[in-house]
Amino acid sequence: MARMSVVDAQASGLPRWLLLKIGGMVLTMIAVSFLVFSVLELNVDDVAVKVLGQFSTADQRAAWLQEGGYNAPFLLRYLRWLGHFITGHWGNSTYYREDVLTLIAPRLAASGLLAGAALLVIVPVGLALGVIAGVREGSVVDRLVSVFAIVTTSIPEFASAVFLTSLFVFWLSWLPGVSTMADGFHLRELVLPVSVLTLYSAGYIARMTRSSMIQVMQSPYIRTARLKGNSMRRVILRHALRNALITPVTVIMLQIPWLLSGVIVVEVFFAYQGFGTLLYQAALNTDIDLIEACTMVSVAVVVTTQVASDLLYAWLNPRMSFR
Amino acid sequence: MKNTDGTRLHSAVRPLVQDALQRGMDRRSVLRVLSWLGVSLASARGVLGFTAAAAPSTASSPAQVPQRGGTLRFVCSVQQMTDPATTTWIEASNLFRNSVEFLTYVDSDNVTHPYLAESWHPSEDLRTWEFKLRDGIRWSNGERLTVADVAFNINRWIAPSSKSPNRTTFAAITAIEPLDELRFRLHLSRPICSLPEHLYAATCPILHRRFEEQGANWPRNPLGTGPFQLTDYHVSRLAVFKRRRDYWGPAAYLDEIRYLDLGTEIATHVAALAAGQVDLLYRLTIAELDLVQRFPSMRLLSEPSAQTLVMRMQQDQKPYDDVRVRKALVLACDREQMLRLAYRNHGVLGEHHHVAPFHPDYFRLPPIKRDVGAARRLLAAAGHPSGIDLTLCLGNTQGRYEQDTAQVLQQNCAEAGIRLALQVIPAAQYWTIWDKVPFGMTYWAHRPLGVMALELAYRSGSVWNESHFANPRFDAALDRALAILDPQHRSAAMGDAERILQEEAVMIQAFFPQKLTVASTRVRDFRADPQDYYRMDRVWLA
Repeated sequence: MARMSVVDAQASGLPRWLLLKIGGMVLTMIAVSFLVFSVLELNVDDVAVKVLGQFSTADQRAAWLQEGGYNAPFLLRYLRWLGHFITGHWGNSTYYREDVLTLIAPRLAASGLLAGAALLVIVPVGLALGVIAGVREGSVVDRLVSVFAIVTTSIPEFASAVFLTSLFVFWLSWLPGVSTMADGFHLRELVLPVSVLTLYSAGYIARMTRSSMIQVMQSPYIRTARLKGNSMRRVILRHALRNALITPVTVIMLQIPWLLSGVIVVEVFFAYQGFGTLLYQAALNTDIDLIEACTMVSVAVVVTTQVASDLLYAWLNPRMSFR
Repeated sequence: MKNTDGTRLHSAVRPLVQDALQRGMDRRSVLRVLSWLGVSLASARGVLGFTAAAAPSTASSPAQVPQRGGTLRFVCSVQQMTDPATTTWIEASNLFRNSVEFLTYVDSDNVTHPYLAESWHPSEDLRTWEFKLRDGIRWSNGERLTVADVAFNINRWIAPSSKSPNRTTFAAITAIEPLDELRFRLHLSRPICSLPEHLYAATCPILHRRFEEQGANWPRNPLGTGPFQLTDYHVSRLAVFKRRRDYWGPAAYLDEIRYLDLGTEIATHVAALAAGQVDLLYRLTIAELDLVQRFPSMRLLSEPSAQTLVMRMQQDQKPYDDVRVRKALVLACDREQMLRLAYRNHGVLGEHHHVAPFHPDYFRLPPIKRDVGAARRLLAAAGHPSGIDLTLCLGNTQGRYEQDTAQVLQQNCAEAGIRLALQVIPAAQYWTIWDKVPFGMTYWAHRPLGVMALELAYRSGSVWNESHFANPRFDAALDRALAILDPQHRSAAMGDAERILQEEAVMIQAFFPQKLTVASTRVRDFRADPQDYYRMDRVWLA
């Protein structure tokens, strides 16, 4: 992706910077779309077999390819597909037999809900543990937090999902085993997937926050603040925290695309009907229109998050400015 | 000799009954044949001296009176389905089974009962069958079920352009002759004694006569004569059926059935059952058996079944076009080890011909014993003295035990100098190539008769003939078996078909795993069906 640094943007100001960022986003999406389209639709015969089924005859496939305009040159087909995509015609899912746009919207919302709930837990827990460990570097608490963080980030999601299910579903019978939300929203059904995501992610944020906090706490301005007689609490909250957050915020922002489209294992394990499960099913069933649309949505989420991350970074770091 | 409705019985009925009563022939097999011949079940049971059936493995309590109402939550794949006549998924067939019905019904004991067809009578030569539909059956749109509906279905099954496996099964049907609104005759080019049983195959529901005019997409236009109506359908997620109040038969007990697709991880399904989020699982694999047995709130249901894994070789693909290579693979295979390690001995051994020892038409052949030395010699004779590299493709479509079985074969083959690579692909992708790979492992569901499985999978030119096996002697043996009413004589005819399959080493078929499933103790009168064909109208919740 054409990535422009915030420092470069200082001279030209925010609107120009944003414009360039959005231009970069568009270029990235076009490049990815071409790649995805090439992989999936270069061989039109495969597309026909997938859509019409294995028992379809050669004549039926030929007629379908003709009708769908698949006999046109590849580049022309790509441009036509891109035009349709831009105008909101994302095609039909061959597996779900539904309009792709209609299919994706609720799934993305469901993943957004899961991601939001997970972030509500991951961010406070990760930051709090990181700050506590960072200000007491070398203490027992610091070591405990570090060990916890390393252990939880080392355990893959599928393993912690099995462990937590064994404990809270099979043994204690406290929590539901799946999170289908088939009968509407139930907060209890979010507990296990959120816990698995928290275990995996909070430790990473805690470690980032800890190292950032240690670095900030050794800065001269913190020493000055202490010498002026400020309490430790005031020094941390008023002087250290904002600067210490710069690195973890970038990490947190990078979690968002992962939570929205990358938590396939957790969604599949708990039968959560989110975007990850949809992408998984699309890939399993070679559902071409759906794979293309999901990929484009994933890219859009990633690049949008990066822009937001850069904006947040500039806001947190007073040395960075668009003017 | 006449039936209870006054019609003349087939001449084979009397000798069959005499054989059962005087010569000790298996009465269940005779009962089954009598049901094919249109003898009413009550009469047949009475004549054969049947008392109450032995207690099956069922989620039921005979002391309790069934209760009406409630929603049953059934974990089952909610697959894409458009035309029930071409479906390859039994799960999908179980969904539409709630709404569309069949001419006959085959119970879990493999006895054929009247369903949409009230009665049927074959001619003496078994080439003409007269059926009478039950009067008063109405579609969910209020129209009456008539012979026109049946004719529409049978004609599209047997049409040369048909993509349904029914084209093979009913290839002998030459014409359907309507007699009036409720009666019709089927004319066959060769005798098929078990025709009524074939009519309950998953792909044989009777669809409305305007099915194709209305788009040939059943979930979009879910017309049916059955006890439930499809009200909600989302692929890979959910399907909801609600009880029809205007159903022609006894009303179903359940108000609603919700089919929930929880993905392919069976442990997740068991977790949902443990947490009380669902009531019934479609399938359990051997891996979860111990877990389920620890929960008093779950009831394990099992049935012997002729479901099996067939590792078949395409006979027109190199190196499987050489019978010596195929035989070497069969001789290298250790069936006992496969059953023990992959399915913990919950099943019976197969004999590399796809007919189970408990099939009524099974014929016992001398077992093929493992012989690694002979396998090596055959390979050398086939031009592979230093062994051969082969690839087996599989999809774990029924669970991990498929791969475990393949891994045992891999080890077995290594001893014979066959370097077997396993190509494991996702289940959903496997079903798009199952009949294309040269050497593949395919799950075949239970069929009540051995001949049914052989007809579908190995007859020359059959739609589902994945091994590309074509042998006129074999086809002739099937024709003979299909025409013989006497179970013992039919079994002898099947012996020829089994022998040819073994001689030609068409497949490695090591064992028949038991059918396993699990229900909450709330679920009553649900029985594990060897075919996985579930009718839900008599199931109720305590």
